[in-house]
Order: sequence, then C-alpha cells, then structure tokens
Amino acid sequence: MNRTRFLLVSVCLLAAGCGTVNTTTTRDRPGDDSIKTQTRVRDLSTYLNLRASEVRLFPTEGGVLEAQVDVANDDRFPRGFSYRFAWLNERGNVIESPMSVWKATHVQAGGIITISSVAPDMSATDFRLEVRRAEK
Amino acid sequence: MHRIVSAFLFAGLVACGQKAAYQETGGPDSIVSVGEVDIQEIKGAASGMLESLLREGVLSTAPNKPARVVVERVTNDTSSRFEVDELTYRMREHLVNSGQATVVTAYGGTPESREAQEIQYRKAVLEGRTEVESLKPDFILNGRITQLKRSAGNVRQTTYTYRLTLTNAATGNEAWTKTVDFTKQGTKDAVGF
Repeated sequence: MNRTRFLLVSVCLLAAGCGTVNTTTTRDRPGDDSIKTQTRVRDLSTYLNLRASEVRLFPTEGGVLEAQVDVANDDRFPRGFSYRFAWLNERGNVIESPMSVWKATHVQAGGIITISSVAPDMSATDFRLEVRRAEK
Repeated sequence: MHRIVSAFLFAGLVACGQKAAYQETGGPDSIVSVGEVDIQEIKGAASGMLESLLREGVLSTAPNKPARVVVERVTNDTSSRFEVDELTYRMREHLVNSGQATVVTAYGGTPESREAQEIQYRKAVLEGRTEVESLKPDFILNGRITQLKRSAGNVRQTTYTYRLTLTNAATGNEAWTKTVDFTKQGTKDAVGF
C-alpha cells in the first residue's frame, strides 16, 4: 500500500515537473483572417510534436501585411525551435530584406505560442516560414 | 613510449577539431555566447524594430514623403563591446532602399553626419551665406541597449534589451518606441541555437 502511494506521489511529481501547460480560450473557431497553408515536412520528429494550429494573414495599420502562426506543442516536454519568415511578391519572388532573420523561441509542453512577421513593403502578398529544431 | 602516446593524442585532437567554414550570418548554426551580444541578436533587434515601425505606420504620418529621419545616438550600456551602428545601419538599409524614409545626414553626430555638415557649411561659406541650409527632419531616432545579468550556481543568464525611440521633430513628442529583449542562459558558450 505504502509502495503504491509512493509510486503515485512520484508520478504526480514527475508530471508536475514536466511543466505541461493547460490552455483555456474563449475562441471555438478559426480567426477571421485565418488562411489555408501547405506544409512540406522534412523533419518528421519536429512535425510530430510541433504543428501550426492556425495561420492568419491580415493588413496592419501601416498598410503592410502581417502573418501570425500559432505553433502548438503536442509533446510532453518543452520544445525549442528557430524560425525564419521570407516574404514573396505577387509573382512569387522573394523580397530580400534585413527583416528576414532566424529567431529562436520555446513553446511549453501542451502550450501554444504565436510567431509573427510583418512584410517588408506593400509588394508582399505571400510568405514562407521555415522551422528548425533547436540544438538541445 | 610516452612521446608516441602524446603524439597520437595530439593527432587525435587535431583530427577532431572543427574546420573553419563559412556560416550564414546570424543563422541557426551561429555561436551563442552567454555574456556577449551576438550577431543574430543585432539582426533580430533590427528586424523587430523595423517590423514594429512598419506595423504602426509611423513613418507614413510624416509631412514629407518619404519621411526624413535623423539617426541620433544609440548608447551601448552593456559590458559587451560591439558597434551599435550595426543595428541602425541595418534599419537604415531597409528604410532608405525601400523608399519609406530618407536619412538626413546634415544633423546628428555620426561620421557621415559630420561629413554632410562640413559640406553644407563649405557651400554656405562659398555662397556668402551666414546660415547653413539643410533639410528639416520629421523624426529623430535614438536609443539604448542595456543588460541584466543573473546567475544561479554555475548557470548564468543575461538579458539584452534594445530600446529605440522615434521623436517627432516638430512637436518634440515621442511618436514611436519599441523594446526587443534577448535572454540567454547556460553555463558556457555554444554553437547553434
């Protein structure tokens, strides 16, 4: 009996130690600016744990477009990753800009974070997002 | 015998060493230093500042098109030695080349500003004018980079904070301000992030 109790307490402590995030939201449907995207997967281990739960594209107050991507971590452990947005014009050509840089971030276990990017100028109509697993 | 073993160990170490190779500047294979500012942060800060500027559309509120901006001093208040111009030049590159702003170099204390002021002054003297004629700016950009260092045991943590402010030159009011933070934690520097 004591052993069972000890095991239960240990399991609870371990579960708490993982720092899984519980999320509550009032939103039950995709955002009004939500868009459909396509994903090319080259790193299955990242894909299985991290997913883009919603992608939104909308004009900002300044007139240029802003992209917001909700990244959900379905794993039991926090995940670090780096990402880079590149913006494309109407013809699909990449708009070269010092704004397109690699950034690093973390998402808690069971959590969602929003990564975003603002287009470098008015000619941007689409974007491309590259995601890479963190080293550790 | 001892010499042979040492020679083998040395040869092994040399073989294991990393060969120098070109890396994408600020790419995910860059070095991450716990107590120093790295190039990926300067690039990230410039990107974050530009994104905020364009998102808010502050420059488009200027009476002049493109907006005339004076790049004033950005102070490095960290123990890390680097050129703060690396930040402002990257921002200028985008704003000027995309036609969203023009940098008025006849004001301010940067090397090219001093050069421009000298040219304006010489022109005024040659034309017999007492006043130097120059473009009136719409905005003045300045800022500060600070750090916050903490440690727990042998784990070190440093937060570098980049703050930039755009002041409306006509009213003297703050037109835009933005803070971009980078926090690094670890016991030693590493390759890749």
